[in-house]
Amino acid sequence: MNTNMINLFGRDKERRTADTANDRLSLVLSYQRTEIDEKKLKHFRARLIELCDEFGYDVVGQVEIRPQTGRDRTTVIFASIPIRRRDSVRESL
Amino acid sequence: MDHEPVAITVTSGKGGVGKTTTVASVGIGLAQLGRKVCLLDTDIGLRKLDLMLGLENRIVYDLIDVIEGVCKLRQSLVRHKEFPNLALLPAAQTRYKEEVTPTQVKQVVDELKKEFEFILIDSPAGIEGGFRNAIAAADRAILVVNPEIPSVRDSDRVIGLLEAADLREIDLVVNRVQPGMVKAGDMLSVERIQNHLAVNLLGIVPEDRRIIRSSNTGEPVIMDPKSLAGRAFSNISRRINGESVPFMELEDNGLINRLKRLFPIA
Repeated sequence: MNTNMINLFGRDKERRTADTANDRLSLVLSYQRTEIDEKKLKHFRARLIELCDEFGYDVVGQVEIRPQTGRDRTTVIFASIPIRRRDSVRESL
Repeated sequence: MDHEPVAITVTSGKGGVGKTTTVASVGIGLAQLGRKVCLLDTDIGLRKLDLMLGLENRIVYDLIDVIEGVCKLRQSLVRHKEFPNLALLPAAQTRYKEEVTPTQVKQVVDELKKEFEFILIDSPAGIEGGFRNAIAAADRAILVVNPEIPSVRDSDRVIGLLEAADLREIDLVVNRVQPGMVKAGDMLSVERIQNHLAVNLLGIVPEDRRIIRSSNTGEPVIMDPKSLAGRAFSNISRRINGESVPFMELEDNGLINRLKRLFPIA
């Protein structure tokens, strides 16, 4: 059946916008509460790479930092850092 | 007075969420419960509370007159005709918020506490000087929020500022809830808002067209027996008064939904 026919009866479900609002809110609140901006995130990212280096890891991909609202108005910072042990990098070479 | 007088500021950050409507109705609600109540409008230059209460023609003096010593505090109070235990201390309409300091507002509230059990402070929108005046004297805060992202974000900012000012007793009123939209997934639910803001829920007020009627007549919606929002404000007043009142079941009673309940396949 033609999709337009289905639309005529209003049967095609639109996305529930409250879910989108909830996700957006979670993000803006986490940024607001921690006063995090892009500049601070960039600095944070650089320091994490330095820290990995100090512990003997090479960062082998994009470092992602994502603040998220936690319980009781706290913010949880999720950092995704793809690393490899420096020795293993050398071994593979 | 059978309990300590308490000053409660009603605030939001964002404008137009229903602060003044809340202050007017909750004020009447507490007065109906026999409490001595004073409503203090701190929205200097943009007062509204007098209009919501139908007292606009009876104002002689205002908050700035009291602060500047032009009149005595007693002279500035406008008593409600139907509820003599309710008084309004209006804001000045032709002055600026910057002309008043938080210390001065606190002195006025301390004076009011000698006569009244509840002082409800109507805070202006924003987080500038007027907001600081409104929270300076408060023992508690009621945060009015609408189920929309901008309102919740502003409220979150306000909670941070209230806590920084050591005002930790904060209650939440979610206003203008449309149960049908929540059910359809197009409006943030009260539960989600409460999860984000993590403060105590004091009340849920449904969207109600009768609020417009009440502002037209100057009779707060709590006085309208047909209004669901009025019932919600009455429950909020009772909770503030220390009663344990369950939250109302909010159902969308539009024609379509009534038909859907009758004919589940519709």
